[in-house]
Amino acid sequence: MDALFLIKIGEIRLKDGNRAEFENRLKRDIKRRLSSFHSELTSREGRYYLKVDEENAAQAEFALSRTPGVNGWARAVKTPKTMDRIAGAALDAMAPLAARGISTFKVESRRSDKGFPLDSYGISREVGGAILERFPAMRVDVHNPHATVYVEVREKAYVYTDGTSGVRGLPVGSGGRGLLLLSGGIDSPVAGYMMLGRGLALESLYFHAYPYTSREAWEKVRDLAANLATYSGGMLLHTAHFTEVQLKIKKDALPEKTTLYLRACMMLAADMLAKRRGLNSIVSGESLGQVASQTAENMRFTGAYTDLAILRPLAGTDKEDTIRTARTIGTYDISILPYEDCCVLFSPKHPVLKAKFEEERAAFDALGFRDVVAEAVAGVETVELPFTFTPPRAAEVPR
Amino acid sequence: MTGVLPTLPPPRYHAAMPTCYLDWAASAPPYLDILQESAALAASDYGNPSSLHSTGKSARTALEDARAVFGRVVGAAPERIVFTSGGTEADSIALLSAIVAKGQRSIVISAIEHAAVFEQARVIEELGVKVIRVRPGADGVVDPGAVADAVRPDTAIVAVMAVNNETGAVQPIDRIVEAVRAATADSGRTPFFHCDAVQGLGSIGFDAAALGVDGAAFSAHKLGGPRGVGAMYLRKSITPLARGGGQERGVRPGTHNTAGAWAFSRAAERSSAARAESFIRARDHERALLDGLRSIPGAAPLPLSRRPGDDRYSPYIVCATFPGIGGEILARLLDEAGIAVATGAACSGAKKERRVLDAMGVSRELSFSSIRISTGRDTTISDIDLFLERAAAAYARYRV
Repeated sequence: MDALFLIKIGEIRLKDGNRAEFENRLKRDIKRRLSSFHSELTSREGRYYLKVDEENAAQAEFALSRTPGVNGWARAVKTPKTMDRIAGAALDAMAPLAARGISTFKVESRRSDKGFPLDSYGISREVGGAILERFPAMRVDVHNPHATVYVEVREKAYVYTDGTSGVRGLPVGSGGRGLLLLSGGIDSPVAGYMMLGRGLALESLYFHAYPYTSREAWEKVRDLAANLATYSGGMLLHTAHFTEVQLKIKKDALPEKTTLYLRACMMLAADMLAKRRGLNSIVSGESLGQVASQTAENMRFTGAYTDLAILRPLAGTDKEDTIRTARTIGTYDISILPYEDCCVLFSPKHPVLKAKFEEERAAFDALGFRDVVAEAVAGVETVELPFTFTPPRAAEVPR
Repeated sequence: MTGVLPTLPPPRYHAAMPTCYLDWAASAPPYLDILQESAALAASDYGNPSSLHSTGKSARTALEDARAVFGRVVGAAPERIVFTSGGTEADSIALLSAIVAKGQRSIVISAIEHAAVFEQARVIEELGVKVIRVRPGADGVVDPGAVADAVRPDTAIVAVMAVNNETGAVQPIDRIVEAVRAATADSGRTPFFHCDAVQGLGSIGFDAAALGVDGAAFSAHKLGGPRGVGAMYLRKSITPLARGGGQERGVRPGTHNTAGAWAFSRAAERSSAARAESFIRARDHERALLDGLRSIPGAAPLPLSRRPGDDRYSPYIVCATFPGIGGEILARLLDEAGIAVATGAACSGAKKERRVLDAMGVSRELSFSSIRISTGRDTTISDIDLFLERAAAAYARYRV
């Protein structure tokens, strides 16, 4: 057990009444992701300490980087218990921070080995002195330091700094369970990621319209879900076969209304499935004004087909920010693979931009989509995508 | 990569059916005995044909034998034949010689060339050579006069393909060559005439002497030979861009693929011997296909005017449109029904290029909905019937 991580938790600390429940959930999430090898997770004074074997250190970092509720973590450097080596490790740790322009720091030391010649104050003083000597521009600030160097003297000495940022937010499931409308695009995986970060456990729903959408399109969605599963600790992907729904829309609806009605049918299906699965909300990647038909009026119309909460975390997000997040979470390269999830055959040239609520509801309801949608929901196929340390990537070589 | 990911069960449309292969223009099933014999040759005559020892000489004998046989098939002396790694390489050797040509700063190609020529021309264009693209008529055939008109005094190369790979349109190469020569006769600077005959050799045949071209490109796998082998015919010498160990008169440097060249020559010879008889059958298939297409409500051949028995088209290739269903979608449905056809259009086809059909002035609605059916030596009339039956069923069920 020679790799030690210090884990910082964020928002959970602000929870008063049910903090223990949040913490237990987070610990369980971390342990579950690491269940394929031995690990020890302990907590002390609002910090978690994770110990794993060196050979599993990279996997532990991967898991920590993808566990909502983890604010950040730092890999501790293990050194022999001599002040020279401890100070050397501290200087190594500070060098990149100094290069980034960080100018204030403090040293926090703990000594559980009471045989060590210096007490914790003495350790901090010596290490701090070495840092000031090497980096003359640095100042000590014990109240609001830019960086903190931690030294722990136990059976060995451990040195670490503030480390890497995590997903932050709240542990998955603390906000209940929702249903993500997952397409093959850039937005919906990001919307899912954002809600996972708010503690919402997710199942995903994809609308497959074979032969208008290909198996490759489905595989792309599966790969997106498998990537999200690394954040959620596993995910169910439901596939609703929507060919008959699309054909009925094409047959019965006015051309300019096909997109709107398809979205309403999707919402209806999501509502039925979410209720069957006991989920509390529907998550959508819609962003106001991103395409001409994503208007508040149209969202009101489609939203009328569920009474569950509809969470649209991207509603006010700039596309560039969404793309940046998609790149960070590893879904972007899969999303831009060229398999369309909605065929141009069904896309009107001039879709309805602002649905008139009462009028459109009456028109939609009169066409009677409920049965064909219910049939699609009844025929939903579900696959389970477990947490994995090696989520699928977009193939590097084009097919 | 990750562990085994779950997959969807096969679509409900799918049923286990024997594959009916109607994509010969993409790649032809190889002659099995020739493949096997060439594998044996690769094992026995492994020497480098450029080596001076007897092992090398033995390989050289097989290689030169292949060259002689292939030369006979295309109506050329053996020394006019250069073996390559395929049709694309043969095209690019010819095209890229325009970069090293001194003082000649333009090339003329047809707008319907295969990507091996068309995309290579774009690269040449980026390097500062003017590329003039000649559009075909609505029938997909390039007019000789239009090519001749496009040639300028500084034109290094004219490239027109023998048979278009998407529509089957046969280009009047002999007349185009003649028109270009006539137009440039006074200047004393006749451009190099290159013909991509990849779709021509196995279907309508190729006679270098009769056509009068300066260079041509061929591919083995289109006519039953192995993949990864091609050839060039070169009446005139050219200055290649890529250099190396001087093999194939320096035109295509790199150690020879002796067994591949041998197999190519034998496949070409066999396909050539069977051509006349095969062609008659192909015309029957074409008739059944075109008549059958017209009996499916909404479906039609492209160009719409194409009739059976028309010399302007190779009977082995038929482009068909099924408006209201994407070509890719229909190809997917046919694949699930055990029938292999080709499509150039993706689901997002409206955004993508359908360069050849665009150049012919075919509307996007029709080109987006098009597939290519191509036949070959093993195709039977019942394959055509099966295709028509299943295409009609899939089209009726899924057209929107």
